[in-house]
Amino acid sequence: MTELKPDIWWLCVPIIIALFLLLRAFNVRMKSSALKSITNPVFLSIAVIALLLINLNLPYSKFAYHSQLLSWLLEPAIVALALPLYQQFIHVRKNLLLILGTCSLGIVNATFVAFLLSVFFKVPSELSASVAALSVTTPISLIVTDSLGGISSLAAAMVIFIGLLGALFGFMLFKLVKIGSHESQGVAMGTACHAIGTAAALAEHPKIGAFSSVAMALSALLTAIIVPLLYPFLVNSLL
Amino acid sequence: MKYLLSSAIILLCLACAKLIMYYTGGSFPAPLLAMVILLVLLLAGIVKEQHLKPCASPILNVMPIFFIPAGVGFIEHLNLIKSNWPFLMSVIFIVPASTLLLVSSVMVFFKSRKNND
Repeated sequence: MTELKPDIWWLCVPIIIALFLLLRAFNVRMKSSALKSITNPVFLSIAVIALLLINLNLPYSKFAYHSQLLSWLLEPAIVALALPLYQQFIHVRKNLLLILGTCSLGIVNATFVAFLLSVFFKVPSELSASVAALSVTTPISLIVTDSLGGISSLAAAMVIFIGLLGALFGFMLFKLVKIGSHESQGVAMGTACHAIGTAAALAEHPKIGAFSSVAMALSALLTAIIVPLLYPFLVNSLL
Repeated sequence: MKYLLSSAIILLCLACAKLIMYYTGGSFPAPLLAMVILLVLLLAGIVKEQHLKPCASPILNVMPIFFIPAGVGFIEHLNLIKSNWPFLMSVIFIVPASTLLLVSSVMVFFKSRKNND
């Protein structure tokens, strides 16, 4: 293992922040929604740092220890998510029941399908728990996966990949199955592909984007409630 | 003062949720419970949007930075990923595709029923 001088590790936090802000500025300049999805700053930041750690043979444990400050701030940030949730709630009161119902169905489907695949492939339980909460924004997925005994870092990477795929191919899929309703497309994108899908939905049509952001916000809340109850139930009843 | 109040609301909700989870011994994640508590307080009008905004808006703006360290952690599990890549690839393709199809179809079904009524 290459050992950096101890005083070098404090650079972890400034490097993460600088890298993310740089990549976000780059992402904002992208014109097409496909390029915007591929240059997702979180995905690229994680990829760049992972490649650096692997190639320089630096221990992840030290990196994690010295970037704890950022990980600690994740908890209050998740609490602050109540604000956009509230802002979306008051705009969709008319269709709230229908959107709540379909979002719940989508979350149950995502957890159930992922669980069936883990049974089919006979994967270890920690891997099965890691894919239980993927159709949701990354911070919620991290916390839920952690509470289920899964590998939260793997879940974070999977969530981003799912968002990217949804953003790139989601609308092609809708065309293929002839689903043209903006409301339906928006709710589906927000439920299945969270923020990255919502960004692509906004680029497609403002109405699709509006419904997608509502569904994304509601899915965050519903995933937090449904998955910690559903996953142990599936494990106990089907395994 | 407004920043102090805003951060105090967030931290108080988090502290309450942690206490609830500690005394009930449940496995529900405390930050998520705190988010639900804060949402209920907002919907009930006990906490106003403008009280929360000063601290919540900037923290939400830079939120993606906070999960980068955790996201990098997948390099600790490269062997597990290598040995289970068919499973992981299936999940990445099948889970979002099935969810997109199911949710959009159900939405179309209920919307057309509502319009017919």
